[in-house]
Amino acid sequence: MTARRPAHIMPREKGTTPLDLVIAVMAFLAALALGASLVANRTADSWRAGLAGRISVQVLPPDKGPPEPALSRETAAALAILQNTDGIVHAAPLSQGEILKLVEPWLGQSALVADLPLPRMIDATIMPGVRVDIPALARKLKAAAPDSVLDDHSHWIARLRGLADTVIWSAYAILALIAVATAAIVAFATRASLEAHHEIVALLHQMGAHARFIASAFDRHYLLATLGAAAAGAGLAAALFLIAGSLEYAGVQPVSFLPPLTLHALEIPWLAAVPLGAGAIAWVTARLSVLAALREIY
Amino acid sequence: MVRFENVGMRYGPGPEVLRDVTFVLEAGSFTFLTGPSGAGKTTLLKLMLLAEPPSRGLITLFGHDLATARRGAFPALRRRIGVVFQDFRLLDHLSAFENVALPLRLAGRREEDYRQDVEELLTWVGLGDRMAAPPPTLSGGEQQRVAIARAVVARPDLLLADEPTGNVDSEIGQRLIRLFSELNRLGTTVLIATHDRSLIEKSRAKEMRLVDGRLVELRAQRP
Ligand SMILES: Nc1ncnc2c1ncn2[C@@H]1O[C@H](COP(=O)(O)OP(=O)(O)OP(=O)(O)O)[C@@H](O)[C@H]1O
Ligand SMILES: [Mg+2]
Repeated sequence: MTARRPAHIMPREKGTTPLDLVIAVMAFLAALALGASLVANRTADSWRAGLAGRISVQVLPPDKGPPEPALSRETAAALAILQNTDGIVHAAPLSQGEILKLVEPWLGQSALVADLPLPRMIDATIMPGVRVDIPALARKLKAAAPDSVLDDHSHWIARLRGLADTVIWSAYAILALIAVATAAIVAFATRASLEAHHEIVALLHQMGAHARFIASAFDRHYLLATLGAAAAGAGLAAALFLIAGSLEYAGVQPVSFLPPLTLHALEIPWLAAVPLGAGAIAWVTARLSVLAALREIY
Repeated sequence: MVRFENVGMRYGPGPEVLRDVTFVLEAGSFTFLTGPSGAGKTTLLKLMLLAEPPSRGLITLFGHDLATARRGAFPALRRRIGVVFQDFRLLDHLSAFENVALPLRLAGRREEDYRQDVEELLTWVGLGDRMAAPPPTLSGGEQQRVAIARAVVARPDLLLADEPTGNVDSEIGQRLIRLFSELNRLGTTVLIATHDRSLIEKSRAKEMRLVDGRLVELRAQRP
């Protein structure tokens, strides 16, 4: 005859409301921003891991005299120093072919290049976890091989880290803006809903319902509605990341020099923070709005 | 139970709707509040049920001076009052049963505990077969009976009824008054605002009369 569970004290809105749509879109954008920050962080880490621990020594052709003997002598001297430095596990000169390949993008493949005096390159690897005194090593190299240049890539690592930090902090700023906007629209919706259900609220208040009781009728509604809508938005973003990942796996990469915008399977669960955060924001905002409104009634 | 001393009331900047109203409702009393339309009966009830603060004067409710009582104590005071509003104020999205059960839910009781009480009460007011109906599908008189059932279901210490028999025939009217008398016998203080002279003549209850915002005539409880 009557419902077994007591009915909701506030009438439910049926179907998808405009608020749900807005929340879903917000959550979608928030999940994209969060995903971008994860990708930037991981990419910066992997670049750093790839570059850190690698040093290279370039031996340039001398200004005067025949280049070949000098180049060979200095390269051998530099190689000997590197191989006798504690913490360096591997040092080997690049072959002529490898060097030609490196300069090819700038100089082309012409026969002319073969006649040019090319610098020599030595690639060396530092044992992980070991700190090598780079300036001291550079001084030693300079003394033995005056035309050598030591590059530990720290300049590039710093630039990349800076780039990644910019992306990450931009993503956080976007997340903060979305959080503020979400709180604002939920506050707005709560106000409108209070207005629409004014008679119910006034009656419950009149019958001696505590403000907390009335507020919970609203905050629970907005918590659940927001959780659902934000989960849909974040889920769509997660699906996009997964699709981008599988496209990359299949060999499609639209912009080759950028890191792929794909999340690893283990990073996808982080996107669940978006609906959880949105739900918390909605819950707190709705509750505070209702309590503030009720405080104005006698 | 309720004490008014020199209470005055105006809505916003408007004229005084109640002037120098002074009276006492003794615990366990049964009182009619009469007076022409616009005299201020509903306003007087609103002050008593903590819907509006008075513009001046002193109101004491259940021993609490309202001017100095903590606002946090109001919900508990309000739950001790059962109210039949002149315009019923039922919740349209709930069934008659759920409307009546509302004060019990607010008191924190569970449906298993109160289901039978609510059903018996609705049957008593003649709505045994309309329990699942939402108020908009009920007639005016049926809605009024739902409102009355809601007001009495939690056995309040104070019952305030504003024209509770305005929409029902005299037979049901008498039956509802008997419900109030029964409640009164069990200890509830009852105040009924009404135009219905026949109701008052048949009763020996005390009468307070409001004219133009002043309490002009007090008829003591007849033996
Ligand atoms: N919310 C309000 N704002 C302004 N004036 C009001 C308000 N409510 C009532 N009044 C005025 O206060 C006066 C008393 O109204 P009230 O409703 O208390 O009369 P009443 O005795 O209950 O009348 P009735 O028998 O018709 O129900 C009236 O002049 C009315 O216009
Ligand atoms: Mg009235």
